[in-house]
Amino acid sequence: MNALETFIVESAVPQEAEAYRSIVADVISELVLGGAIGRIRIVLRPEDSLFQMAIVLRGSQPPVRLADVADLGYGVMERKEVRISIREEKYLSPLLEKLWARYGRGQVLQPERNTLIVRQDQDPEKEINYLEGMIVADPKQGLQSRLIEMAIRSTPEGFRVRYHSMKENSFIFVASEDMLKPEWIQQAHQMLAELQEEQ
Amino acid sequence: MAAVLEPYIYEGGIHRHTLITELLEDLGGYLIQKIPAATEVTLIMLIPKKDVPLVEELGKKLLGKLTMAPLTGTEIAVVSPTLAAHHLPHSACDVAEHLRRDGANTNMIGLARGMGRRVALSADYERKLINEHDIALFSFGTFADCIINKKPKLFEGVEIPIVATGGPDLRTEDVPNADVYVGNIGRVAHRLRKSDELSSLDIMNQKVAEIVGSMREDISKDPLAVLPPRVMKEIYEQIPQIEQVLTPAPVTLQLDGLRVKLPYAEFSEKVENLEFDEGTRLAELAKVMPSKMKNYILIKIKRESEVGFVI
Repeated sequence: MNALETFIVESAVPQEAEAYRSIVADVISELVLGGAIGRIRIVLRPEDSLFQMAIVLRGSQPPVRLADVADLGYGVMERKEVRISIREEKYLSPLLEKLWARYGRGQVLQPERNTLIVRQDQDPEKEINYLEGMIVADPKQGLQSRLIEMAIRSTPEGFRVRYHSMKENSFIFVASEDMLKPEWIQQAHQMLAELQEEQ
Repeated sequence: MAAVLEPYIYEGGIHRHTLITELLEDLGGYLIQKIPAATEVTLIMLIPKKDVPLVEELGKKLLGKLTMAPLTGTEIAVVSPTLAAHHLPHSACDVAEHLRRDGANTNMIGLARGMGRRVALSADYERKLINEHDIALFSFGTFADCIINKKPKLFEGVEIPIVATGGPDLRTEDVPNADVYVGNIGRVAHRLRKSDELSSLDIMNQKVAEIVGSMREDISKDPLAVLPPRVMKEIYEQIPQIEQVLTPAPVTLQLDGLRVKLPYAEFSEKVENLEFDEGTRLAELAKVMPSKMKNYILIKIKRESEVGFVI
């Protein structure tokens, strides 16, 4: 599936659908979602105060573990230190957050740009095993929150009654000003099924 | 009767720009607003009609540019349904900026509950605040159905001329209670910089200028007892505290009044007691009221028919 291979906005008036497509396109590019969305279809019925959106996501990356982005080793043995040499600097700040939460700020030293020393009192080998498996960043987590942000930003603002369903690689969003009718939600699920069937 | 004044904007270097302001003072014109920005300065002024070539000549010598600014001396409310990212900063801020380029002073007003169709409404306080301006400009969205059937209820209680902007290409008659509708300025999530977007902003300025023109004509049938810029000059001369006000326009001109950005409780008496060379006080010529905007002072100047004379 290519990025944004299907991008349809439907409304009773074609010019309005076109204008709305440009709004959604701006929102998608602002939130850097272009690469994550495969197919998207939006149906707008202003006369019923209804907004329906179905998205098929492209496969997302697995969570990043510390062993993937850093080498772990021993520091000064008698002080049970653990030494972390990070290879990809962009993960440094989320890693620091996690280490501070676990050991406290004073126990994490950074003698050099890519090197961290953790002072702790457990068995260093066990601790290294634990740290190697620790999740540093989860691209999916960020993606979910950006998707929700995108849905809220691209819906007309007054439509405060919302339904959403987020699965492994799909997202449905229905919004209205009034009570949501069950058939509207069903239609959105139908839209998603059609999108998924596309070749 | 004072000389006929023409509104102009001067844009040029800050170096020696005081020559312009001095000349303006000698000619009996008024400096409405001075906006310095690093090495550049923008002067918004009213110049006596017959002396415009003099200022133009001096401006040319200083390598500046003098352009007509038909919206000078007006205060326009740019009303957006709410302050959420859906409506701001684009396109409402772009609209406001474009109006300012023609000399208008704009205030952005985000309604508390203006969003949506059935649920959209405006509060009494908001309507009173909007009515303090010369013109209200409502910036709406993409759907014709909303603009024609639902949004006009936000116009209720607004007594000043109403300009509506929106995406679809509608006729003014289609939008109930709007004085002018300007299309192709709907909801967008990017800055308005494409040529067709800019040309619709130009059309908007033109239509707003037409409304301002007819409002000025109405006023000239029963003229104001004193010109607002004259009052502004007296405020600067008689109330020195105005120099310490940090807002961009400490005294904002309106077509039939002024907004003075000093606290009402402290300064209303001083403003009422402003003296004119002709021997009258401002209280005889105008109503001095507390403004709905912060704790400012609002002055509405009375007409000749009410006061009996014009100075």
